Amino acid sequence: MVRVFLILIMFIGYLESEALAPNSINIEKNCIACHTKQKIPSELIYRRYLTKYSTHKTIRKVIFNYLKNPTKENSIMPKQFFLKFPPKEPIDMNDTALIKTIDTYLDYFDIKRKLVLP
Amino acid sequence: MLHSERRSLFRFLAIYLSSTFLLFSLATVIFYSFQKHQIVDKQNNMLQEEAVKIAESLRQIHQEFTEPLIYPYHKPFDSAIYNLDKEYIFGSFRPQHILWSREYYLKDKRLVYIHLLQPYYLGASYLVVAKDINSKPFDDLFKISIVFLLVAGFLFTLLGFFLGKLFVQPMKESMESMNRFIEDTTHEFNTPISTILTNIELLDAIYDCEGKEEMKRIEIASKTLSRLYEDLSYLKLNHNYHREIEELNMSKLLYERIEYFNTLIEAKNLKLVFEIEDDIILDIDKNDAIRMVDNLLSNAIKYNKKDGMLSVVLESGGLSIKDSGVGIKKEDIFLIQGRFQRANKSEGGFGIGLDIVGQVVKRYGFNFKIISIYKESTEVTIRW
Repeated sequence: MVRVFLILIMFIGYLESEALAPNSINIEKNCIACHTKQKIPSELIYRRYLTKYSTHKTIRKVIFNYLKNPTKENSIMPKQFFLKFPPKEPIDMNDTALIKTIDTYLDYFDIKRKLVLP
Repeated sequence: MLHSERRSLFRFLAIYLSSTFLLFSLATVIFYSFQKHQIVDKQNNMLQEEAVKIAESLRQIHQEFTEPLIYPYHKPFDSAIYNLDKEYIFGSFRPQHILWSREYYLKDKRLVYIHLLQPYYLGASYLVVAKDINSKPFDDLFKISIVFLLVAGFLFTLLGFFLGKLFVQPMKESMESMNRFIEDTTHEFNTPISTILTNIELLDAIYDCEGKEEMKRIEIASKTLSRLYEDLSYLKLNHNYHREIEELNMSKLLYERIEYFNTLIEAKNLKLVFEIEDDIILDIDKNDAIRMVDNLLSNAIKYNKKDGMLSVVLESGGLSIKDSGVGIKKEDIFLIQGRFQRANKSEGGFGIGLDIVGQVVKRYGFNFKIISIYKESTEVTIRW
């Protein structure tokens, strides 16, 4: 009985990971890999966005604009940052997929999930 | 203390105390609301200080970003953070219906303060801090205000009473001086009036003198003076006079008093109509009854027309005396019941008649009613 229950749990876990997989793969492929390589923590950028724009709705819009048109003016990072890290090419991803990817990124760092009462 | 003196004192005290009370109430309300604002401001400042502390903690948490992010919560304060769109992020409480347009407000006995945050650490644009209002300072303030009002009221009542006494002092002295004058004058009147009346009776009984008409006039004048003396003495001694309440036969007394006034009635050629029930008994002091009946009869004769009508009705429920005289204007009816008040100054007298009647009526709890048609008739009814 216990064995059947464990197998069921493992199977549900597998199904869930498969459902999240496309966006996670997108983030991994298009964001994290490069950020890790260049030593630019994604969480630091998230905090910068949060400090400036406050709501996920605005942040989503700003990130989307930047990824579609990555210029110094559209970036959250200071101008000096681009002396070391030049702006990237516009992302090659359809709008719906990009928005979903941004939402996954925002949900991952969402402070609502991290805050606790003492 | 004289009635008029007491009335003046009460009027003065009423005006003085009501205006003082109004002034003090106003001052207390202003003081209370000012102090209340001070207390609220003090408690609001505590909220503001707490908000500054939380904002600083949020900055630190944001910069460190070490999981878990422990929200700064210090009892007794509750707080919550909201983003720029006023969406709830996190907090120790989640208030409903926040008044975003107000910096401070009081709702459901809780003081609420909305603190604006910039930059938006942890995405927080608004910090809402709340605390249960401490009602003790308000209760203390209310008690102090009431005590202040009561103590001030008591002191100013005492002061008012003292000032009132000073205020009525000149009037009191005038009244006392007038009373002394009346007392002395009436005392001096008594002996000669009694002598005249006794001698007229003697002359009438012993001698058959020729000047009957002249003698009658002297008798009328002497009786008028005698009644004035009796009335003035009654007023003077009214307070100290020892009354002997007895079962008085009012029917008998009324016949006696009509007989006494017969000379005056004849002199004016009045048609006397009386309906007097036999043996009407009333518990009253005889002198009080005489003064009441005499004054009513005297007025009815004095203010009657020549060849007029005088009606006297006595029944178990009361006495009614009606004349066909000058009448009284409607607006003067209340006025003439006061001492030294006369509506018609063409006749003699001091204007104390109805005052005496009023005093007797009040003392025995009777009802006193005057119905008068100006220039036609006056009917005075006393019900017991």
